[in-house]
Amino acid sequence: MARTDAMLATENLTKQFVLHNQGGAEIPVFHGINFEVAAGEAIVLSGPSGAGKSTLLRMLYGNYRPTSGQVRVRHGGEVVDIVAATPRRLLDVRRRSLGWVSQFLRVIPRVPTIEIVKDPMLRRGVGEAEATRRARDMLARLNLPERLWSLAPATFSGGEQQRVNIARSFVDPAPILLLDEPTASLDSGNRGVVVDLIRGARDRGAAIVGIFHDEAVRDAVASRLLDLTHFKAA
Amino acid sequence: MLDLAPAAETSTDEPILIADGVTRMYGARVGCLDVSFQLWPGEVLGIVGESGSGKSTLMRCLAGIDRPTAGSVKFRHSGRAIDLFDLDEPTRRALMRTAWGIVHQNPRDGLRMGISAGGNIGERLMDSGCRHYGTIRAKAADWLGRVEIDAQRMDDQPTSFSGGMQQRLQIARVLVSEPRLVFMDEPTGGLDVSVQARLLDLLRVLVRDLGLAAIIITHDLAVARLLTDRLMVMKEGRVVEEGLTDQVLDDPQHAYTQLLTSAVLTV
Repeated sequence: MARTDAMLATENLTKQFVLHNQGGAEIPVFHGINFEVAAGEAIVLSGPSGAGKSTLLRMLYGNYRPTSGQVRVRHGGEVVDIVAATPRRLLDVRRRSLGWVSQFLRVIPRVPTIEIVKDPMLRRGVGEAEATRRARDMLARLNLPERLWSLAPATFSGGEQQRVNIARSFVDPAPILLLDEPTASLDSGNRGVVVDLIRGARDRGAAIVGIFHDEAVRDAVASRLLDLTHFKAA
Repeated sequence: MLDLAPAAETSTDEPILIADGVTRMYGARVGCLDVSFQLWPGEVLGIVGESGSGKSTLMRCLAGIDRPTAGSVKFRHSGRAIDLFDLDEPTRRALMRTAWGIVHQNPRDGLRMGISAGGNIGERLMDSGCRHYGTIRAKAADWLGRVEIDAQRMDDQPTSFSGGMQQRLQIARVLVSEPRLVFMDEPTGGLDVSVQARLLDLLRVLVRDLGLAAIIITHDLAVARLLTDRLMVMKEGRVVEEGLTDQVLDDPQHAYTQLLTSAVLTV
């Protein structure tokens, strides 16, 4: 990676979907994307619907596979090629270095809210008492009433579920954060809290790539924009 | 002589299971063909495919039940990678009872229906060398609790249990000997939806808390999504696609995987 403080870099990233069961239809999305994100920087992906913003973000996480090109991330003291990494290596990168915050909480039955928020901390080795304290603080900051903390989120409203999702991702944020419309289902008050959390993580050195449709949130968070229409595939 | 006592914590740097070119033919018919992968402690690998895809055949080779026609299966035990089929059958079977476990789709295939629930669990403890009656009973009660079976049912026979309870008892029987690797063949097959949800959640917690390596055979992509880290897709005996579970399900590359994922109904 060119910059010594770069946390994530892509090189000639190209994506085309091939739908084998629909006559082999080819859907080109983008080609030749090159960019780097440094620690403390937040890049917001922009472009119209269909430009490939979510597709690019998922490729940075190793969820979608590029047709060609590279994605490199800083993982501890080394640089890992996400595309070429073994499954085991990629799982380790996701565990410690790369965080994904989606629009929705993936609800696992019967797990109480507080445990959902504590889980990533416990898996990274934070002690039980400390994890509980930080989880409680975060849930309170996101205005989730205490009576909900011991309940599983399956019956919560969309906005409440999303705040549980945010709590889990920001209570001990990864060094590189990928945000896919994290404020989509939130009211303006809670959107403000989440913007503060994102800026706080950024100011403490996280490298962030995000998608935000809300322009006010985008303006509050972005260090710069990456317009995907420049990379549109023919 | 192979030491069968539960081994000390396996180094997580070494894979616990290595499959190399595993092939099983039935005459000219392909059961499974040239399957290779490595599994590390704590990883959960899913094998998905339709009936007849070869997944159960593969599992039987990996679990030491059927000898492959070609290829090898190596299991890491006491610091060494042991070729399962180099062992004589009694040794291999003894290892199967202690170092790894198999949860069958039909719990009756994995339980002794004629002895009590506590006896089913206790029998495995005795296989591992435990002799003290009080300890065995206490451990059995503990495990019944972990699989959410009322301890008061300890002396009842599994014939009086519901399907879901029988499956949970089978899981307790398998896990009590602290295997480092667990095979599960359609663990929620045949159970009601509400019972499935509870069982899946239980499995998820146990696998994570015990740091198990597990191989889960399923045709149900929702089960794969919830329980597995990695996924192999099988068709007609061959692995057609593999990767992390989210990769395979969200960005399927192979035509057959695309067919499978597009066929899933959402509620």
